[in-house]
Amino acid sequence: MKQRNLMAAIGLIAACAMQASVTHAADAKTENLANTCNACHGMNGVSVGPNMPSIGGLSETYLNAVMQQWKNGERYSATMGRHFKGYSDQELDAIAKYFSKLPWVPVVQAAEAKTLAQGKEASERCETCHGATGSEPDDADTPRINGQWAEYMHLEMLKYRTDTVKMPHRKMRGNTKKLDESDLLPVAQHYAAQPK
Amino acid sequence: MNPFNRRAFIKAAIAAAPASAFLTLPNNAHAGRKASVVVVGGGFGGATAAKYLKKMDPALDVTLVERLKTYTSCPLSNEILTGHGKIEDLQTGYDGLAKRGVKVMFDDAIGIDAAAKTVKLNSGTTLKYDALVLSPGIDFNYGAVEGYSEQLANTSHPHAWKAGPQTLALKKQIEAIPDGGVFVLSVPPKPFRCPPGPYERASLVASYFKHHGKHKSKVLILDANDSFSKKGLFEQAWKMHYNGMIQWVPGAEGGKVTKMDAQTNTAFTDFGEYKADVLNIIPPHHAGAIAKNAGLANAQGWCEVDMLTMESAVQKDIWVIGDACIHGDLPVYDAPKSAHIANTQAKVAAGAIIAKLNGVPAPEPFFVNTCYSTVADDWGFSVVHIYRVEGGKLVYIKEAGGISPVNMADEAQLKLQRKLESRYVVGWFKNIMADAFA
Repeated sequence: MKQRNLMAAIGLIAACAMQASVTHAADAKTENLANTCNACHGMNGVSVGPNMPSIGGLSETYLNAVMQQWKNGERYSATMGRHFKGYSDQELDAIAKYFSKLPWVPVVQAAEAKTLAQGKEASERCETCHGATGSEPDDADTPRINGQWAEYMHLEMLKYRTDTVKMPHRKMRGNTKKLDESDLLPVAQHYAAQPK
Repeated sequence: MNPFNRRAFIKAAIAAAPASAFLTLPNNAHAGRKASVVVVGGGFGGATAAKYLKKMDPALDVTLVERLKTYTSCPLSNEILTGHGKIEDLQTGYDGLAKRGVKVMFDDAIGIDAAAKTVKLNSGTTLKYDALVLSPGIDFNYGAVEGYSEQLANTSHPHAWKAGPQTLALKKQIEAIPDGGVFVLSVPPKPFRCPPGPYERASLVASYFKHHGKHKSKVLILDANDSFSKKGLFEQAWKMHYNGMIQWVPGAEGGKVTKMDAQTNTAFTDFGEYKADVLNIIPPHHAGAIAKNAGLANAQGWCEVDMLTMESAVQKDIWVIGDACIHGDLPVYDAPKSAHIANTQAKVAAGAIIAKLNGVPAPEPFFVNTCYSTVADDWGFSVVHIYRVEGGKLVYIKEAGGISPVNMADEAQLKLQRKLESRYVVGWFKNIMADAFA
């Protein structure tokens, strides 16, 4: 009896060890994978600027969608598409999960009051989807943008305004094109200035 | 419990712990003390390694040995040469790493005893290690170009292939070139630090001429090689922005400089001689002396490593990262000697070291390179390399990576692409500096 219990205990330990090893290997792999993102997107997905976006705390759905679109050539990027073609769907899932679990840390960027007022006024049509301060997106597919880097957002809007580059979101394309060119940066600065 | 089961249990405990809470050293060899990792060289590779070792296992004893208190980044130093920004913007100290618990020693590592697992420092101190990371960068083989020397490099003929005082010295020379003067740039045989660097430098010198009323001045690239990184992108940019100002002479057409005359500012190749107003010789280089002297380098002067872990192929418990190593999907898709690849090699090495110290297998590695070049206002481009394990072997993923598109559907797209990447250089730089040093 005693002997049998010991055997069972050994079996249990071995099974645990195996299971834990698998989990550990997966975690360590994801950490290795996610660490490669830090070079451009900052530690814990918080970029130190000015045109590389923070990615920690964005929704898993959004992160996954964007990476998949880049991988499949459905969304224009200057650089990122060339990265994601090198990873499996499971790896992209793991990256999306990893960064979505980190907190969103807004990097509040100051700007002149006049510019911020101009940006706020011009940002009316952004509000419906991103929320008044950019922190309350209306669905998981929409990124939060409060405290996101202004220059990054400005450059993203330039993508949407260039007709011949492939961008997935018709509403976003329509709305950025309706903005006056002189309002693009102020709108970006308005959201960049929002702490929450 | 018999020893077998006990070991399994320990392994399970380690495996179940998150990576950041690794138990340090369960094996008897290190019982009773913290494991020590020594990192030699505080550039992008070494700084990143020290930081991530501490991040992944705060219990580790991590010591970084670096000669200089202020680090000057090579990336973006071509911009400084040609008047864009200040050199201070490329500099950082080591306070960030010290705050993370890394012991930073400003000293010169002068010898390694691999059997005793010690590193000897110039000050007389000897450091004992369980794992050693070497990220010594490069040293120059001045003898390969007859007439050139370290002394000339530090005085009249800076190569500026390590950013710092030589960058500023060469900058002054470029500013003093008269209209109609010639900047001659000699490129060493591959592999060398920063594969697109010489061609970016040529572009930015031409940009300087163009914007400072030196329209008749020219840049002559004398190249030991017959092709170069991002060639299509550079040639397109030269035609658009610097038409007729930049001439490239490949090795096959006599581009390899074998000799120079400092008095007359002349470069000599097997096919002819070229008189310069500024003669900028980038001498061939090899792994930093500390790695070479420890017998870790091959006949070509570079350190071979295990592709998956970065551990030296010659000496166990020593990991060689950054420009000093030869790595990638050899022989064709070698990893470029860039800050970005050094940064990812450092992270992989850190993970592999901690795994080895804990007696568990190294996690699956991922290596990435993103390298931007800026060649004119709003005109930048990049190359991306992705390396990963397939069938137990490190391979370059051909479906991914590659250079920015040379041609695009229309002019608006092309301009957008080049503008975006010209801006991304700055964001990349700030983040990678923070990733390595902060």
